[in-house]
Amino acid sequence: MAAGGKISGKGPELLKLGSGQARPGLPLNLIVQGKKQAYSGPPDVRSLLEAQGENSAYVNIRINGQIMVRRDFENISLCEGDRVDFLYFMGGGNV
Amino acid sequence: MFNLSEEEIERYSRHIILPEVGGSGQQKLKESSVLVIGAGGLGSPALLYLTAAGVGRIGVIEDDVVDLTNLQRQVLHATPDVGKAKAASASETMQRINPHVEIDVYQQRLTKENIFDILDKYDVIVDGVDNFPTRYLLNDACVMKKKTLIEGGILRFMGLIMSIRGGETACYRCVFEEPPPPGTVPSCAEAGVLGAVAGVVGTLQATEVLKILTGIGKPLYNRLLQFDAEELRFHEVKAKRNPDCPVCGKKPSITELVEYTYACKTQAPKT
Repeated sequence: MAAGGKISGKGPELLKLGSGQARPGLPLNLIVQGKKQAYSGPPDVRSLLEAQGENSAYVNIRINGQIMVRRDFENISLCEGDRVDFLYFMGGGNV
Repeated sequence: MFNLSEEEIERYSRHIILPEVGGSGQQKLKESSVLVIGAGGLGSPALLYLTAAGVGRIGVIEDDVVDLTNLQRQVLHATPDVGKAKAASASETMQRINPHVEIDVYQQRLTKENIFDILDKYDVIVDGVDNFPTRYLLNDACVMKKKTLIEGGILRFMGLIMSIRGGETACYRCVFEEPPPPGTVPSCAEAGVLGAVAGVVGTLQATEVLKILTGIGKPLYNRLLQFDAEELRFHEVKAKRNPDCPVCGKKPSITELVEYTYACKTQAPKT
């Protein structure tokens, strides 16, 4: 795991990067791609990507300044106030 | 004293009049060398501007042939060039634009066998490749050789640019550790690309090269710039060097060049 952070004690162990608290039953207020957004889906990164219509196979992600490792997406938990940026794979250039 | 002819001074007068460039900056460009990998969507605008700007020696690597479907964005090539080797077509256009520029043509693919020898001959490298295996090969080679690489990518209405000083600033693998699984990222041939997006990104790459060669401003090091043409927005993301990066991290697992050999479904069929 590239990132450091707190491990939650309940359910599957999710790595938390932000300092914000989870708010059970309430949407998370996130800043996604620079825009404020209330997100009420499951708090892992892969679910957020799916909710945004992004395919986790071709997007990398940065949370609060830290670039994540793709294979860890299911284990990373989002927190209130997290700032999330999507980094897209773009292979084109010469085609 | 600058080694610029009267004709060159006139040709580059709009550069020379910029205090940040001046005669000395133009002279630096003349003494510089740049390698552009690919003479396609990104390579076309990059090569046009680097040639017009008077970079002294420019290398072009390209093994493909001009296809009718290229002409919507690959502005180095024109209708009569269809069927011609892109490397030759690129060289002819560049010579017409600026005969003062020396052009090295490599009508071949970049491989782990030839990459170090070719990179060694140039000051700055521009990535305009069309596939992930070559993109990672190029990144790794530039890190190992401590070369300056200007990364660029395009897809649909989006573009990406990042400048890398090999071994000193965040590299492509610090952001995208491994290539995506084969077949997951569509190619421009599959997903399409707005031709002008290639122009934006390739021109930004050329701008970065010219800034770096002349020492002007602040290069896009440790930053990734994403361009969204639909919203007409640029989104900048800071990218630090990753201590766990497999090629430039503290304990790199990649110490020799690797060439991903998977049959990439995302590559455009040669038509």
